[in-house]
Amino acid sequence: MATIKEYLTTDHRKCDELFAAMEDAATQSLENAKEAYEAFVADTERHFQMEERVMFLEFENKTGMTEGPTAMMRHEHAQMRSLMQQMGEALEAGNKDKFFGLAETLMILMQQHNMKEEQMLYSMAQQHLSAESDRIVNMMESMIVE
Amino acid sequence: MNFNGLSIDQAPPISAPLRFFLTAPIFGVIAGFLLLLSDPVALTNRFSLESIVSVHAITIGFLGFVMLGALTQMLPVLAGVKIPKVKEVTTLSHMLLVVGLLCMIAGLYLQNSVFTFFALVGLGGGFLIMIGAISIAIMQVKNFTATVRGMGVSLFFAFFTVLMGLFLLYSYMYEDFFTYHTIIANTHSVWGIFGFGGVLIIGVSFQVLPMFYVAPKFKRFCKKRVIWLIVAGLLLWLALNAIAEPLSVFAKFWIALFFWAFATTVWKKLNARRRPISDVTVWYWRSASIFLTLGTFVWIFDEWFSSEHIVITAICIGGGFVLSIMVGMLYKIVPFLVWFHLNAMGYMSIPTMNEMINKKLATTQFVLFIVSLLGFVCAFFVPVVLPLFAVTFILSMALLEYNIVTAALVYVKTKKTKPDFDMSAFST
Repeated sequence: MATIKEYLTTDHRKCDELFAAMEDAATQSLENAKEAYEAFVADTERHFQMEERVMFLEFENKTGMTEGPTAMMRHEHAQMRSLMQQMGEALEAGNKDKFFGLAETLMILMQQHNMKEEQMLYSMAQQHLSAESDRIVNMMESMIVE
Repeated sequence: MNFNGLSIDQAPPISAPLRFFLTAPIFGVIAGFLLLLSDPVALTNRFSLESIVSVHAITIGFLGFVMLGALTQMLPVLAGVKIPKVKEVTTLSHMLLVVGLLCMIAGLYLQNSVFTFFALVGLGGGFLIMIGAISIAIMQVKNFTATVRGMGVSLFFAFFTVLMGLFLLYSYMYEDFFTYHTIIANTHSVWGIFGFGGVLIIGVSFQVLPMFYVAPKFKRFCKKRVIWLIVAGLLLWLALNAIAEPLSVFAKFWIALFFWAFATTVWKKLNARRRPISDVTVWYWRSASIFLTLGTFVWIFDEWFSSEHIVITAICIGGGFVLSIMVGMLYKIVPFLVWFHLNAMGYMSIPTMNEMINKKLATTQFVLFIVSLLGFVCAFFVPVVLPLFAVTFILSMALLEYNIVTAALVYVKTKKTKPDFDMSAFST
């Protein structure tokens, strides 16, 4: 079974693929991009919730750090949710420039967020939660998005 | 456990990297004017004072400044560490470097040893403070990735490039040239461009290309071995230059081979990227790849022409490769920093990154830049055309400054006018 680090890192790449597919669709026409946008947002939201509702909680319980790195990551999730919402509005309004401008900003924000998680937080989580790794991955896998 | 890079207040203040980024194109403009004022024939010789002065306005003033600014910003994100006393360190070293470089230009151009002395103090102090501070940060890194390793290695070469540079500058102060002057000059230039600039670019691209462009990952071999193989080539270059100069062609071939492979890899990764977006940064990556390929080939084939065309190699690799990547990066990093810092303060009505810089002006800047580089290559054979391309280069650098200052002004204006202050987006 994949470790916490492997599982979540692989999921980042999946979100990236969906992001690229969404941009690809939007270069054809914004109308056609709605489905791809929904797919990207749904998957990203699922990823955020797997962290916020499962992995971060386990990490916080184990280490006692509730105001540390997980708080920062939650804050960045909020920033990204806001950008995704604005992208949806641009899509509805048919504003292509706004949509691609927001997408570019989201991409850079998302990647620097992913770098921090993959290179620091996930390694730390794996180190602290190695004994419960399988259980946590299973919980993330079977989680129902709220 | 080190979580520095993961907390908001540990991110460097926006002024720390921006002061380096906003100064760089100004030295680009100065370099253009130096080319315009120089004797075009003198510039075809790498050891003429005109060549040395114009080249350093670019290598220190542009490349050095952008690399130091980028390291300041990227260390917390890529390595989870921050530079100690980042505000004080960057302010002081930036000031020393600006004064030092201006004194170096004046000292060599006017052959005035007082200016050259202050250049030694300013450049030596400025570089060594930054290199020292970044080294302290890197020493705290727990999780050494290929990118962080690239940063560390690049810093090692930066340190020795600076020491050799100071020594060479010192020899100009007294016009007292040592026996080893040419060996040191050769090592200084090759280590500076390939060791400091090249290795840093390769290390960072391991992360940037796959992540920001959704391109295929670099192979394990690349990430694990390539930087060490380049290091071996650069050390061999020094050793052979010192003890068996005629054999140094082997080190040259070795270094050129890996950089040419990198150029090809970049091109292939861009072709295979999943993001369809093609903006000015992608064009700069592409131009860097083409110029690096040309540069490495000219460098090798020039062996059969007694290195007569070394100036063309320098234009292709220093200008076409390293400078291209740096300019392309500025178009992304400056608007992102503005957006990121304003957003972190709670401002919501911020222009998107794409709205901060006018696309047409960025395209014009790119065209002017490429025309200038091609023009410089032509001017090697027909020196009389140089002033024309010095002017296009000045325009390209001035336009670059305008473009990134426009983005930076969004930060100043937004803070001043306070359009809104909406925290609702932060509630989950």
